[in-house]
Parts: sequence; C-alpha cells; structure tokens
Amino acid sequence: MSQQRLNDILLFALLAVCVVWLVIPFGMAILWSLVDPAAPWTADRLLPPALSFSRWIDMWQNSSLKAALINSYTQAPLAAALSLSLAFPTAYALGRIRFPGREIAKLLVLLPLVVPSYVTAVFFSSLLFQLGLTGWKFGAIVFAHAVLFLPYSIRILIVSFEQVRDDHIEAARDLGAVFWRRWYVAYLPALRPGIFAATLIVFIKSIEMFAIAFIVGSPDIVMIPSLLFASLGQDYVRPNAAVLSLILVVPNILLMLFLERLLKSANPSLSSGKG
Amino acid sequence: MQMTAKAWAKVALLLAPGLGLILALIGTVIYMAVTQSFGYYNLSGESVFSLEHWAEMLDRRLYFRSVQYSLYIGVLSAVFSVALAYPLAIWLRKPFAGSMLIGTLLKAPLLVPGLVAAFLFINVIAYHGIVNQLMEALGIWDGPRRLQNDRYGIAVLILQTWKNMPFALLLLTGAVQGISDDVLDAARDMGAGSFTRFRKIIAPLSLSAMQAALVIIFIGALADFSFQVIAGPTNRQSMSQLMIYFQGHGRWHDAAVVGVTLMVLALIGSAVLAVLARLLVRGERVR
Repeated sequence: MSQQRLNDILLFALLAVCVVWLVIPFGMAILWSLVDPAAPWTADRLLPPALSFSRWIDMWQNSSLKAALINSYTQAPLAAALSLSLAFPTAYALGRIRFPGREIAKLLVLLPLVVPSYVTAVFFSSLLFQLGLTGWKFGAIVFAHAVLFLPYSIRILIVSFEQVRDDHIEAARDLGAVFWRRWYVAYLPALRPGIFAATLIVFIKSIEMFAIAFIVGSPDIVMIPSLLFASLGQDYVRPNAAVLSLILVVPNILLMLFLERLLKSANPSLSSGKG
Repeated sequence: MQMTAKAWAKVALLLAPGLGLILALIGTVIYMAVTQSFGYYNLSGESVFSLEHWAEMLDRRLYFRSVQYSLYIGVLSAVFSVALAYPLAIWLRKPFAGSMLIGTLLKAPLLVPGLVAAFLFINVIAYHGIVNQLMEALGIWDGPRRLQNDRYGIAVLILQTWKNMPFALLLLTGAVQGISDDVLDAARDMGAGSFTRFRKIIAPLSLSAMQAALVIIFIGALADFSFQVIAGPTNRQSMSQLMIYFQGHGRWHDAAVVGVTLMVLALIGSAVLAVLARLLVRGERVR
C-alpha cells in the first residue's frame, strides 16, 4: 500500500475519531442548552422535541450569571495588565542582559507551573487569613492570577526582547533619540506582538482558572468557573450547566484562535519594518 | 562574564517584580504548608511545634487510599497521554494534505477549560446519555448503565487523557519534527523496521520532550480535583479533594499534611518518571 493511500485511510479514520472526540460532546452541549423546558428531552428521543432560548434567558435573569460575568471579565483584564507590568522588567533583564545564573533564573520563572495549583490556592488563602486580608478577596484573586501566570508573560516577553535588533537601537541613538523615543522606535515594534500575546494568554488563563476563584473567592465572589462547578455538583441541572459551559468555552476558543494568528504573525523583523 | 556591583544591583532590581514575586509567593505558600503541617500558624489555638498532625494522618486509611489513588491517576494519565501522542506525532512529522486540519482538531481540547471538558464528558456518558442510548440501540446492553463515578476512575483517566494528550502531542511533534530524514533513512537502509526505528532513533532523540510531557501531565493529574469530584469514584478521594475537604472544615493542619505530601510526591514521582523514561530509552539505544 502506498504512503499516500495509507495517509488517506488514516485521515478518514482520524476524522471519524475527531467527530467522537469533539463534535458529539459539543453538539450535545449545544442541544442541551437549547432544550425547551416545556418539552423535556427524554431518553427515548435522539433529538430534543423542541428548541428554544428559554434556558439562556432564565440563566441570565435568575442566576448569578450576570455577577459572575462581571467579576470574571473585570478580574481577568486587571490580572493581565498587572502580570504584564510585573513581567516587563524581569523579561528585559532575562532577554537583554547577560549575567551569570540567567538560565537558572529562566527555569525558576516556571515555578508556579510546577507547584500544584490547589496547593497554591489553599495556602495562599491560609496566608490571607494570617494577614487578616480575607476582606480583600477580589484583589487577592487578581494578584494571585497575575503572579501565577507570570511564567507565560515573562517567557513570551523574553523572546520578544531577544529579538529587538541592536542596530535599530544604535541607529536611534546615533540619530539623537532620547531614552523614551528609543523605546518607541526600536523596542516597541518588536515587542508589540509579544505584549498582545502575553496579555491575551493571561486573560484567557485567568478567565478559566478555577482553583483560586473557588478556594479564595467562595462563597462571596462568584466567577464563571465556580458557578459552573456548582452547577455540576449540588445544583446539577444539565441544561443550565450546558449554558454555562458554552459561555465559558466559546469566547476562550475565539480568543485562542486570535492568539494563534497573533503568534504566527509575531515576526519582529516584519513588525519593525526591517528585513 | 565580569559584572560590577552596580550591574548586579540593576539586574536584581529588574528581576524583583517578576521573578522576585514568584519566589516570594510560591516560597511563602510552601513555607506555610510545611510549617502548618508541623503545628505552626494555628488559627484557633497555640502555635507550637508538633508531629501530632503527621502521626494522626499516617494512621489513617483514608490518607493512604487517597495517596494510592492519586498516584494511580497521575501515572496512568501521563503514560496514556504520551503513548497515544507518540504515534500521532510520528504520523504528523511530515506535512501531507489534511495534516494541518488533523493537527488542529487533535489539539482542540487544549482550548477547552477542564470544567467544561468534565461537563461535556459526563453529558455523553450520563445514565440517559448518548453512549447508553447507542449501546441499547445496538442491543449490546439490555438497559442503561451507570458509567459516571465508576469504581476504577476510568472516567477520570479518559478525561485526563482527552485533556492532556494534545499537550503531549504539541511537545512531541516539535521534537519528532527535529529529527533529520537522513538519520531515519539510514536506519531504514540498514533494514530497521518501523518499531525498531522508533525504539532506537525516535525515542532517544525525543527523550527530553517525552520527559517534559510525562512530568507536567503527571503533576497535573496527581493534583486533580475537578475531574475527580465531577466524574471520579465516590468511595475514593484524590489528594487535592482530601486537602480541600480538610481546609473547608477549618482543619488547616491536616490540609497542610496532605498538601506537603502532594508536593513531595509530585517531586519524587516526576524524578522517578523522568529517570525511568531515560533508562527505558537508553536500554534500547544502538550500542
């Protein structure tokens, strides 16, 4: 059998697996979110007897969804902005300055990814208790997310800083550009894709992070993941859980696709206008 | 690389807001966990050094069952994810018509948050879910069966593999694509079959990526909470579940003992997995 034919067979087999892998689970979630409460979807029917947006409207009007959306979509941009601000100086040092121990420092940056997030969440909340800061839950969540996702923002910005071209900086200096002007003309064009990518990835991770929102935030601060968790546990109503799942996953997928395009276009020589 | 005191001060100042905060937060978290497990930072009484919490915990069957169960989930999730990702990474090594689409579809679960994945899965395996409907329609089962919260954590293992295989694929694809055609062609010319080429060339040359995938997936699955609570067996508790149960009941010292055990197991387990992978691959390398 030729390689081409084998690839074709494998391709079709895998596409079939992908249907099971993705289309069925997501298709079921979409259908369940649209089940009309007046006409329940019973086990003897392959498809729901009637579809409507009743569940979506009901969730919007009669649950903590509005508060959860406001909380999640307020804390995530704040965490992204804070993470980026904190990452910037460190990424500059690790990307532009050669010093002994630089490689170890780059590895240590990954520490938050190695320590289990639930351990971090539990003992971060213990720390808040010890410091008497339990009234600052929202700020604590923003701070924890910003620090826990620093590995992403620092590592992305290191790559951007490494790709800033020395001849651009020197040319700007030779032309008499002052410090801020040099940043604007030589650094910023190369850094821009990295800044967008880091902001976006921290934003996405922050929206979907459950451990901190659940351990530190509960029960006062409701976020989308903690609301979804509750709807999968004691308050399990399948259509409601379907609505929440789609609200959590769809914007993330769209943002991630945008992020991938951004990272693919993150060619600093192009963005700085020079080959 | 000679650096003046001023240059060092500049580097330290620049590292402080990023790396400094990471070390401060994670260091404090580890310090809190370790000291609380030995009786310090007591929120409701005197803070004194005590081995009592460890002694009590080590006397509990619940604790050992939880350690055993978490190790089982951690190791099997890592092994299954990597074992599934390898053949796919090798297949996708060279681009062909449709390979981009396949790669994207396979990596799609990376974009799905864990809780959503858990919901999608329990929706499919529910008592009146599509799997039960299909098995009944095909006449394989007489009636619906309870698939959620199964005794052996199979649902959790499937979920962990679904969520983590794409991550292993991402790492392994990069590593496998880095292997030159000349090396593989030379092996083929010398009569090496597909499996021999994998054992003696591909596996050794992608060892670092395999180790990274094994370790990262192992740590995540070992410390799993949400998949276990939603889809796992009801008569077993994962270590994170046990830790959060204690924390929720104000038993911070007990939570700390479980948390420290979790971190130590993550460290030791990762090292053992990485060494085992190396030994296994090295044993197969061409001598």
